Amino acid sequence: MLAGCAQPRADDPNVRGIGYVRLEEVLKKHPLYPQLSQIDDSIDALGLRSLGAGSVPHTGKQIATQTKELNAELKAAQDRANVILRQKQLDYAQREQTAISAALEAAGAGTNGAQSAQAMQNITAAQAQQVTAQANSDFAQYQQSVVTQSNSALQSISAQLAARADRAFGQRATQLQERESQLSLELSQQDANKRLQLRMKLNGLALPDATRKQYRDELAALDRNEASVVAAQRARDQQTLTAYRAQLNTQVRNEMASQSAKIHADTQAKLQTRRNDVSQQVSSQLQGLRPAAVPSNLPAATRDRIAEIDRTFKAKFQADAQKTIAQYQATKAELDARYAELQGADASATGAAHTQLGQLQRERDDLYNKMVEQIRRDAGTVAAKRGLQVVLVNIEAAPGGIDLTRDVERDIESLHE
Amino acid sequence: MKSTSTLFLAAAALAALLVAPAAIAADLTDVGYLDQAAVGALPQFQRANAQVAQYKSQLDPQFAAAMKHARNDADRQRISGEFQQKFLDKQRQVLGPLFARAQTAIAQVASNQRLSVVVDKRIVVFGGQNITKSVVDLVNGPGPVVPPASTPPPAVIGFVDQSQIDQLPKIKAANDNFLKFANDARQSALQKMQAAKNNQPQQQQIFQQYQKSLTDEQNRTLKPLVDQTRSAMATVANQKHLILVIDRADIIYGGADITADVQNALK
Repeated sequence: MLAGCAQPRADDPNVRGIGYVRLEEVLKKHPLYPQLSQIDDSIDALGLRSLGAGSVPHTGKQIATQTKELNAELKAAQDRANVILRQKQLDYAQREQTAISAALEAAGAGTNGAQSAQAMQNITAAQAQQVTAQANSDFAQYQQSVVTQSNSALQSISAQLAARADRAFGQRATQLQERESQLSLELSQQDANKRLQLRMKLNGLALPDATRKQYRDELAALDRNEASVVAAQRARDQQTLTAYRAQLNTQVRNEMASQSAKIHADTQAKLQTRRNDVSQQVSSQLQGLRPAAVPSNLPAATRDRIAEIDRTFKAKFQADAQKTIAQYQATKAELDARYAELQGADASATGAAHTQLGQLQRERDDLYNKMVEQIRRDAGTVAAKRGLQVVLVNIEAAPGGIDLTRDVERDIESLHE
Repeated sequence: MKSTSTLFLAAAALAALLVAPAAIAADLTDVGYLDQAAVGALPQFQRANAQVAQYKSQLDPQFAAAMKHARNDADRQRISGEFQQKFLDKQRQVLGPLFARAQTAIAQVASNQRLSVVVDKRIVVFGGQNITKSVVDLVNGPGPVVPPASTPPPAVIGFVDQSQIDQLPKIKAANDNFLKFANDARQSALQKMQAAKNNQPQQQQIFQQYQKSLTDEQNRTLKPLVDQTRSAMATVANQKHLILVIDRADIIYGGADITADVQNALK
C-alpha cells in the first residue's frame, strides 16, 4: 500500500514542509500568456525604434516631396474617418428612427410624429458630422501650415549655411591664389638677373649654334624650375582647399542638424498642443450638442419619451464616434512620427511614442500582476492539499523541497477549458 | 486470525495516511517573511528619505558648478567621486540608524518566534510566518530595540549573492561579450529598420530576426553557464543539507550564505 507513493511527503527530512514553484514556467502555461508575450514584443519593438538615431536632414526638395506624400496619406485617413462617422450617423439615425416610430406607434401618434422626429435626427446628425469634419479639416490645415513654415525655415537656414560656407571657401581659395602669384613673382625676381644675362648673350650675332642652344636651354630651365615650384605650391594648396571644404561641409551638416532639431521640437510642440485642443474641442462640442427640439404637437408623455430616445442614441453615437476619432488620432500619431522622422527628429522625442510605450507598460504590468495573483492562489491551494508549510518562488536551486510547478501548471492549463 | 490482524494493521496504516496533512508538518514553521514596503512606508523612514532628497537637491547645483571648472576627464572623475561620497555619507548618517533599528527588530522577532530565516514577502506564495506587524511595533516602540541573545538556528534555506557570482572572470567575460553582441545586433537591426521604414511587414520580420538572434546567442553562451551555476548551487546546498537556495536580495535575516562555496565550485 505504501510502496506506490513516489512523491515525497511534507514531513520528509529533505522537504521539511517547504515547497516551491517555478513561476516563469507556470506563466507560460497561463491562457493569457500569448497576450502578455505580444505586449512584451510590442514594447521591445517600440523601445528598439525609439533608440534609433534621427536621420540626416533631407534637402529642401526631398522634404517638400515627402511632406506632400504624408499630407496625402493624412487626407486619406481623414476621409476614411469622415466616411465611417457619416455611416455611423446614418446607422444611429436609422435605429433612433425605429425606436421613435415604435414609441409613436405605442402612443398612437402615427406618421406625423415620425416625420417630426426624423427632422430632429437629421439636425443632430448633421451637427455632429459638421463638428468632427470641421475639426479634422481645421487641424489638417493647421498642420500643413506649420509643417510648411517649418520646411521653409529649414530651407532658408540651409541656403544661408551653404552661402556662408561658400563665402568662407572662396575667401580661402583667393588667399591661396594670391600666395601662389606672390611666389611666382618672387621666383621671377630671383631669376631676373640670370635671365637678363642669358638674353643679352643670346643677342650676340657671332654665337655658335651650340652655344645659342645652350643659352636657350638655360632660359627654358629657369622657366621650368619656376613653373614646377609654383605647381608644387598649387598642388599643396589644392589639398588644403579640399580639406577645408570637407571641414566646412561637416560644420554645415552639424549646424543644420542642430537647427533642424530645434525647429522640429518647436513644430511638434505646436502640433501636440493643437491636437489636444482639437480633441477636447470635438469632445465638448459633441457633448454640448443641444437636443433637437421635440415637436410641440405631440402629447407630453410622448415628447418626453422621444426626447429620452434622442438623448440615448446621441450618447451612444458620441461614444462610438469617439472610438473612430481615437483610431484616426492613432493613425495621425503614426503619420506625425513620420513627419518628425522625415525632418531628422528622433521619433521618441515626440509625445506619441512615449505615450504608447507608457500605456503598453501599464497594460503589461496589470496583466502580469493578474496572472501571478491567479498562480499564487492556485499554488496556495495545491500547497494546502500537500500539507506544506511554506511555498516560495524565485528559487535559484532546489536540492530538496517539493516542486509544485507541474501541479500548478495543470491547474492553470485547465483554465483553457 | 493472522489475516485479521494484518487487515487491522493495514487499516491503521491507511488511517494514519488519511490524517489531515497539516498535522504532519505542524512543527516545521521556521520560515518567516517581512513586507519591506510596509517598513519603508513608516513615517520616520519617509522623513529620512525626504531629508536625503533635500540634501541631494542642494548638492546637485554645487556638483554642476564644480564640473564646469573641470579641466579634463581626470578632474571630472575626481569631482564625481567626491560628490558621490558626500551623498553616501549623508545617506548613511540619516538612514543608517533607522536601518539598524529595523534590522535589530527583525532579529528580535525572529529569535522570539524561533525562525531560522526571514525572507521578503514577494517570494512567498503560501504559508510562512508574517512578522511585519511585530517588526513595525518594535520599530515604532519607545526606547532602544534590544538585540537577541542568540544567533538564529541553522537554516534549511541558503542564499547566494548573484552579483558576486557574476564577477567570476569566465561569467563576467560571457556577460560582457553578450552585451556587446546585443548592442551590435541592435544597431544592425536599427539600420535595417530605418531602410525599411515604409514597409511594416519587413520591419516586423527584421525585429523577429533580431529577437531570435539574441535568444540563440543567449542559449549558446549564457545558458550553459547558468546551468553550471545552478548545478554548483545544488551540489553545495546538498553538502550543507539545505533544502532551497534563493538570491541574496530576497533574504532579510538568517539563512546560510553559500556564495563563497559556489564561487569555489565554479572556479
